[in-house]
Amino acid sequence: MSAGSGVPSTRTAGNGNAAAAIDIPVVLVEHLSKSFDGRLVLDDVGLEVHRGNIVAIIGQSGGGKTTLMRCVNLLERPDAGSLTVAGEAVITNGRVVCPDLAKLRQTVGMVFQRFNLFPHLTAVENIMLAPTRAGVPEAEALDRAVTLLRRVRLAHRGMAYPEQMSGGEQQRVAIARALALRPSVLLFDEPTSSLDPESTGEVLRVMRELAEDGMTMILVTHELPFASEVADHVVFVDGGRILEQGRTRDVLDRPRNARTAAFIAGSAAH
Amino acid sequence: MSSAGPLDVPWGDYLPDLWDGLLRTVGFTAVSFVGAVILGLAVALLRLGRVRPTRILAAAYTELFKNVPLLAIIFVTYFGLASAGLRLGVFEAGCLSLVLFYAAYLSEIFRSAIKGVHHGQQEAASALGLGRIATFGHVILPQAVRIALPGTNTMLVDLLKSTSLLVTISAAELMSQGRLIASATFRALEVYIVIAVIYFALCYPLSQLLLWLERLIHAGVPLTPRRRRRVKMARALLAAGSPS
Repeated sequence: MSAGSGVPSTRTAGNGNAAAAIDIPVVLVEHLSKSFDGRLVLDDVGLEVHRGNIVAIIGQSGGGKTTLMRCVNLLERPDAGSLTVAGEAVITNGRVVCPDLAKLRQTVGMVFQRFNLFPHLTAVENIMLAPTRAGVPEAEALDRAVTLLRRVRLAHRGMAYPEQMSGGEQQRVAIARALALRPSVLLFDEPTSSLDPESTGEVLRVMRELAEDGMTMILVTHELPFASEVADHVVFVDGGRILEQGRTRDVLDRPRNARTAAFIAGSAAH
Repeated sequence: MSSAGPLDVPWGDYLPDLWDGLLRTVGFTAVSFVGAVILGLAVALLRLGRVRPTRILAAAYTELFKNVPLLAIIFVTYFGLASAGLRLGVFEAGCLSLVLFYAAYLSEIFRSAIKGVHHGQQEAASALGLGRIATFGHVILPQAVRIALPGTNTMLVDLLKSTSLLVTISAAELMSQGRLIASATFRALEVYIVIAVIYFALCYPLSQLLLWLERLIHAGVPLTPRRRRRVKMARALLAAGSPS
């Protein structure tokens, strides 16, 4: 499979807008490369994510999967390649062409491994901050925040500070915060790696519901059973290259690449 | 040895002078502290900035004023500059000295506080589309203030006490008034004990007040009317939808 080849779309949300109708990829990554201190961590990588798709990026630690995802909202700037988000060119031939990075980041929500909630703000204020800064009136932002807290079943913790919440609760607030700007795509960077099994279950339940609602998601995960359950597509990254990508069942049940097979077998053994 | 006690000093006659001195001390403290916080924050930001020459300049400033006695700075600004043709008034020279000296220490406190905010906070703010100024104002600064508060509060009380060094340029603050009263009454022991008690009566409640403020901020109590209103609205909205 060529590095720039895409993931075929299997699901389109029925919202009837023009982009959905002609199925423009929400995220299109082409020939992306990135180095840190001369060490190549992404090498000519390609990825295509369509509206309503859930793409799981799997692979060993240090293989480049988190860097690939961080390039999508430009937390890391690629050295070469192109990136298009929701039909807007963000990077062309390694150069940032997007005039409004803030707007791009409002289109691409992100949930971090370590939650990264703002400790000086309550849960509801954490969710309200970005919308109010983006110009949403405070009353509307508050209403949106409370609705999202109910959606992640944490309305009773709205006035709690992050340090007063469990890891699972913090991560669910982080998901609500990422949803507050109504992004086109949500990125999850190993969202359950820092959690105990019970909290992991709570977070996965929320993610499962988002998947059922047709949210476009890219998730870097070690949870292969969860990826197998919710993801439409799986991308296996190793040594900075995409070694295999395709429909979830195809990649996880019948991997064609020996490294992919070894990784899946190793994960199953654990 | 005379058996005269503190009451032998006609304190009633000197109350207006002591009151003036007290106000002057508070004035020096307030103006100098505000100036030192502004300059200290600017120096801290320059030291954390990307421009190498200004980083070096800010570091040089900090090292210079951290390693020179305050008294030397007072003499340079009041006597030294006057001999070079720039004659500053006592209040201006006093405040300038205190600002220059304490800004160096405060810049170190602010710099370490800003660096102490976890890098993930900056990333989370960027990922939410907040610009550099909004990130600093809404995410980094409020957290840095929490970290910097204990050190900054110590500096404020220290600055108040250091205004007493301005006696050397007859700044009419509390210690200068004490010196005048001691010269007039020849009761140095009683006078300076009373002056020390007044400094204690200023500094102790101030440090307790600052400790209380620290506790409020760490407890997340909303301090601004805007945040109080927002928190009240949020509580009402959350309660409205909760099961009874």
